[in-house]
Amino acid sequence: MLCYTVFVERSRLEMSEELLSKKELLEVTGISYGQLYRWKRKDLIPEDWFIRKSTFTGQETFFPKERILERIDKIQKMKENLSLDELAEMFSPSVGELNLSKKELVNRGLASETTINLYLEHSKESPEQFHFEGILVVYIVEKLLQSGDISLDEAKMVIQVSNDYFAKEKQSYGELIIARKLGVSTCLIVPSTTNLVIEQGTKLIVNLAYADEIEELRTKLL
Amino acid sequence: MVNIENKGNLVINGMGSSGGGTFKKVLINGKGTVHGDVDCYDFSINGTGRVVGNVKGEHGKINGSGDIEGSIDFDRFTIDGTGGIRGNVKVNKIAISGKGRIGGSLKGEEIKIRGNATIGEDCEAEEFKGEGGFKIGGLLNADVIDISIAGECSAKEIGGQSIKVKKGIFRFLNNLFKSVYPVSLNTEIIEADEIEIEYTKAKMVRGKNINIGPDCEIDVVEYTGTFTQDPSAKIKEVIKI
Repeated sequence: MLCYTVFVERSRLEMSEELLSKKELLEVTGISYGQLYRWKRKDLIPEDWFIRKSTFTGQETFFPKERILERIDKIQKMKENLSLDELAEMFSPSVGELNLSKKELVNRGLASETTINLYLEHSKESPEQFHFEGILVVYIVEKLLQSGDISLDEAKMVIQVSNDYFAKEKQSYGELIIARKLGVSTCLIVPSTTNLVIEQGTKLIVNLAYADEIEELRTKLL
Repeated sequence: MVNIENKGNLVINGMGSSGGGTFKKVLINGKGTVHGDVDCYDFSINGTGRVVGNVKGEHGKINGSGDIEGSIDFDRFTIDGTGGIRGNVKVNKIAISGKGRIGGSLKGEEIKIRGNATIGEDCEAEEFKGEGGFKIGGLLNADVIDISIAGECSAKEIGGQSIKVKKGIFRFLNNLFKSVYPVSLNTEIIEADEIEIEYTKAKMVRGKNINIGPDCEIDVVEYTGTFTQDPSAKIKEVIKI
């Protein structure tokens, strides 16, 4: 039997993450106030990353260190080739109006025909055109199968769980977990795995955040 | 947007009310009320008209004390008089003269304020020009911010690339009535690369090149490039980073 406890406490999550003040951010990255405010206006940096705190010098703005540094790095690397609006589109977690056919998916190298067929076999509908969430699932399954991390049966579980999850109304994308114990595996989706506690002897095979995959997929779709 | 070319006009003169919908032109003269969302090309309220819903269009105008009890999305919008929008405003260009009120946030490319506008939440633009006295409840964030104060201006925070704050052109009159009409810009924090301010009260001013002009009261200035100050400016602490 598999046992899990998932604690999701937003406030604790934020507290445990290392923070970087705005001043330090500018110093470390070399960006200007003008750039930072412009990127905020263009929604390249999410509003909830601006964490306001009282310090002895008055109000200060802090950022989640790891995430902001990674984001700034990405913006700086990509702004040469993409407009700010295109970048904003890429970082936006909302699902775009994009449809691709099976052939286009294969041609763009997003998934192999085998994976797509597997997806179609295990979905209730078999669409002519894949909408964004469909593309996302196929893309993730392809990646997991290619890496050899999961078996074909586990891939079927991912498809089924993801489809059920995407069918529901949700505020944000969660994280996908595949765990295995004594050869028996299970697949689940949780809002966050920050405080995930798993029974001893259980192996976590896959743990990926949909938001990261969406970002990665978007870069490939552009 | 729905094809509005072959749609009709909605005109209310005097007292009357209508439902929302898609129109080519919406004109409310007098005390008309529109219930429901409106999608149109031209939109204007003269008088005390009211829209209970959201409005979307190309050109919009409120003259008088018209009210939109929802959010708007326009290419160009003008508010003359005491008109207001209760929700959020998304525009390309907006000009507010008089006592325009926006309850939510204001987002645009170019924002021009002349008079006594009030914006409840954040105000974002590529170019912000403010003349007169205005009140912004949240963050004023624009690439180029140009403010001529004539009256009392305030914003919770101000940030951008370059920020210029000058005393307005009614300098002479302002000096005369200084005790009656205080002239100042109040904010908690100003952050920009280029900062040039006068008559400003702030707790913190941070930037690259900073020039603090006459009659400023600043708690802390932090700069990385150059710093100059007027002898009449009161600054508690200056830190070079």
